[in-house]
Amino acid sequence: MSAALTAVPDHVILLETRALGFYRQDEPVFASLNFRLRAGELGLIEGDNGSGKTTLMRILAGLLHVDEGELYWRGQPLQREHCLGEVLFLGHQLGLKADLSPSENLQVAVGLHGYRAQTTLSAALAEVGLSGYEDEPVRRLSAGQKKRAALARLVLLPAKLWLLDEPYANLDRTGIALVNRLLEEHLARDGAALVTSHGTVSFHGGEPQRIRMHA
Amino acid sequence: MSRPGLTTACAAMLRRDLTLAWRRRGDIAMPVLYALIVTMLFPFALGPEDTLLERIAGGVVLVTILLAMLLALDTMFSSDIEDGSLEQLVLAPQPLALMLAMKILAHWLTTALPLIVISPLLAGMLHLPTSVMPVLMLALLLSTPMLSLLGAILVALTAGTRRSGMLLALMLLPLCVPVVIFAAGAVAASQQGLPWLAPIAWLGAALVLLLVLAPLACAAALRIALDA
Repeated sequence: MSAALTAVPDHVILLETRALGFYRQDEPVFASLNFRLRAGELGLIEGDNGSGKTTLMRILAGLLHVDEGELYWRGQPLQREHCLGEVLFLGHQLGLKADLSPSENLQVAVGLHGYRAQTTLSAALAEVGLSGYEDEPVRRLSAGQKKRAALARLVLLPAKLWLLDEPYANLDRTGIALVNRLLEEHLARDGAALVTSHGTVSFHGGEPQRIRMHA
Repeated sequence: MSRPGLTTACAAMLRRDLTLAWRRRGDIAMPVLYALIVTMLFPFALGPEDTLLERIAGGVVLVTILLAMLLALDTMFSSDIEDGSLEQLVLAPQPLALMLAMKILAHWLTTALPLIVISPLLAGMLHLPTSVMPVLMLALLLSTPMLSLLGAILVALTAGTRRSGMLLALMLLPLCVPVVIFAAGAVAASQQGLPWLAPIAWLGAALVLLLVLAPLACAAALRIALDA
């Protein structure tokens, strides 16, 4: 029964790019990028520094316009209105206010996106290892703890597609394990995720789809 | 799993910005002190002549408050751009313009409202007759939100540039001319015992127009700033 339940959404292609390209002053950052991301699938974006990984993430999040090629969301040409609230973007800038505490920061995120079923704010903070720091201003946290506070959004918010730009940066070994565990849980819920990393990623789920960036 | 309504989202945004302002309450006091000191300079510079001060009081208070608001304006979106909060806001399921309207409202509440509260004191220092005070405050209540809204558009437009403070002043002040004319016109009319409702009505009409258009313009400008 559970196999049948997971088998059906396997065919749902959440995100598809066709000949996607991006130019900076007429120089291609990357070109003719094709991939499909299905529900329950992890895409690992690989490439050297400056190969356009972050740029791709920002395009997929809808922050940058598409220069060339096409983007499809659930089989439809991607428009911002279609995927509002379904995409969660975690970039280099964490989107945390330094003067607010982690729980106040999360309250804002929840106020905009709502809770995922069966999650609470305190449980999410405990899961990312920030219990005891709930009411400490974010400016007093270490870089790794700030990252964890941002990761708590992954636990709390109901998004379908995660776009994680360098999620392992600044994290210690337990933090890396935490990201991997969150990813596994998300994929098991038929969520999808795209992850950039130029380090080695030790992912213990199924084999991720590898997307190689090149100009 | 249900998506929060617009009211919840607006309340969350407003609460966030007001909490942030409260954490830095010193910054709220700064424009107020600035306005107090600038107003105090006028009697020193022009001499303590009652009739002269009374005549210029309305205009001086208006311009001082405009300049004081300008001081606090350029921080409106800059911290949100730096720490990535704006990206999160753009990706939120709510209309960006509405969320930015909440930010502008919070900004008005924390910078303009304290200035309006002390405006009778400022005007009193310049011997403005007490009977004119209500008109002055009404004019300020209508004109300061316009300055916040106009300022927000320009802050959003100059968001990507470095040292935007001076540029912002040079762009905003010409746009403020009609606002100052009508607001000062209402105060002057009331001082001379003439009907002052017409300029106030003009201010109200312009405010309504800006309330609708400014958040949309801000949203478009900030999307472009992020796209760069």
